[in-house]
Amino acid sequence: MTLLSRFRDLEPAAQHAYVSLMMAVIGRGLVAASQTDDETRRELAAFTPGMVIAMKVIPSGPSFALVLQPDGTLKLLPSFDGRATLAVVFKHLAHAFLVFSFQESTTRAFANDRLYIDGDISHSIRLVRCLNRMEALILPQAIAAKAVKRYPAIAASDKVRAGARIYGRLALNFVNGDRP
Amino acid sequence: MSRDFYEFFCPVKVIAGERALEHIPFELGLLGAARPMILTDKGVIAAGLLAHVQKALASSGVAIGAVFDEVPQDSSLATVRAAAARYREAGCDAILAVGGGSVIDTSKGVNILVSDAGDVAEGGGDLLRYAGAHHLKKPLRPLFVVPTTAGTGSEVTLVAIISDETRGVKVPFTSTFLMPNAAVLDPRMTQTLPAHLTAMTAMDAMTHAMEAYTCLAANPLSDAYATSAIQKISNHLLPVLDDLKSPLGRLELAQASTMAGIAFSNSMVGLVHALGHTLGSMTHLPHGVCMNLFLPYVLEYNLPVASDRIGELLLPLAGPDIYASTPKGRRGTETITQLRRLRDTLNARCKLPRTIQETGKLDRSALRTLAERALDDGPVAFNPREADLSDMIGIVERAWG
Repeated sequence: MTLLSRFRDLEPAAQHAYVSLMMAVIGRGLVAASQTDDETRRELAAFTPGMVIAMKVIPSGPSFALVLQPDGTLKLLPSFDGRATLAVVFKHLAHAFLVFSFQESTTRAFANDRLYIDGDISHSIRLVRCLNRMEALILPQAIAAKAVKRYPAIAASDKVRAGARIYGRLALNFVNGDRP
Repeated sequence: MSRDFYEFFCPVKVIAGERALEHIPFELGLLGAARPMILTDKGVIAAGLLAHVQKALASSGVAIGAVFDEVPQDSSLATVRAAAARYREAGCDAILAVGGGSVIDTSKGVNILVSDAGDVAEGGGDLLRYAGAHHLKKPLRPLFVVPTTAGTGSEVTLVAIISDETRGVKVPFTSTFLMPNAAVLDPRMTQTLPAHLTAMTAMDAMTHAMEAYTCLAANPLSDAYATSAIQKISNHLLPVLDDLKSPLGRLELAQASTMAGIAFSNSMVGLVHALGHTLGSMTHLPHGVCMNLFLPYVLEYNLPVASDRIGELLLPLAGPDIYASTPKGRRGTETITQLRRLRDTLNARCKLPRTIQETGKLDRSALRTLAERALDDGPVAFNPREADLSDMIGIVERAWG
């Protein structure tokens, strides 16, 4: 069994740990992108301040929740337990693992009923564009191309510059314990 | 086609054909119901269609508890609440929706409120608590749908879209429990549709089927329904325009609409719907007109990634002779050519517009706004080819004419 196939068939506990880590990275990555990337900020400008965006695995798997602040940036809500304005809900841990291990794109997972959207569908389209944008900026093209339907045309210099800003802010967010 | 994974679900009993309405009393009885409320609109009443239903229920042991005929063209929360109140006042135990998309969506909303899932048990009356996806947790009251158009397919879908007039937004409700118990397709119910509406609603169903077949969640079962629907519309739409009262032709179109509805509710739709929803909201053009406008242009846009799938539609659309005589590599473009030919015929016979310009409802300067807004519409996610703003502008420019 190759290393890759072993990874693709991880035990549930290991999948849980991996998905939890990826949720933490994606949640904080979105926060960082909202602070540094103009295109992400343009997308978020269509949302109403106070709106809560969540991603979770039911019934009680890994999750994160973000709130849109009046200045247009996102902030993590570490212990959110209410009903989000917009929630991306994975039906099973294994489905979230498929997506976060880049075996299935977000769009394909949606088409395959691995997840459902609870909230305004047009908001979810914007959120997916934000996710795609962030993944395209921070991931190597070979991996990001598996996560998105069409890899966007981003100049290499822009990718390095914007990616570095997001990584920097991401690291700060981890170090600072998600303080605003 | 083969798929590594898919889901398919349609628990709606289809009762189709001559004297189908007369099966309603027995079917209601099977579910323990004997006092349905009829939900409809003024147009259905004016066309005399309700008389067929009333006659079918007469002397059957089923008493019509109430008739609510105040459903507007766009369903609203206020309408749902008013209809639910009428249902409770009359002591009804089932809902019989007789009409088109708005009536059917309203009936699904009413069913939430009059069932235990709604305010009867909980004393709240807040339909919005159930907005969004999968917030209903148990079956609702018996709901039968008698479509009076052959286009929406709402009689077999799990979605209801209801306007919140105070906030000015359309609220989606999604749950498998919203699906009707039965769809009753009786040719008498569509025989009075004029040629223009017949063509428009048929092209709505044609779009459902073609997008169902070409979008990302297509699967072997939805494919079967989609291709059969296309074949039925292709074979029967023009003959029905020649003979609007044809029972067989009307039944074929009604079945095609239901089959296309089953297909798209299991495989979703794409850019035609995203653009069509947006144009409809900007101009109030009927949904079927908007579908007819964008269908060939979106198929053209999707050709680079879905040429084979679009090419396979040539068989149900144009028949075996044209399919067999067209080289495989040209079938995708030939499908679009045949579709354009059908649209030209419909335009010549009943003035169904083929381009945005022909509708006379939108200024060319609004095309960019149309493209921008359509990018946020849900079906964008399921289109086989990603589209950004410049792609969308390209499509609407071509659809301008």
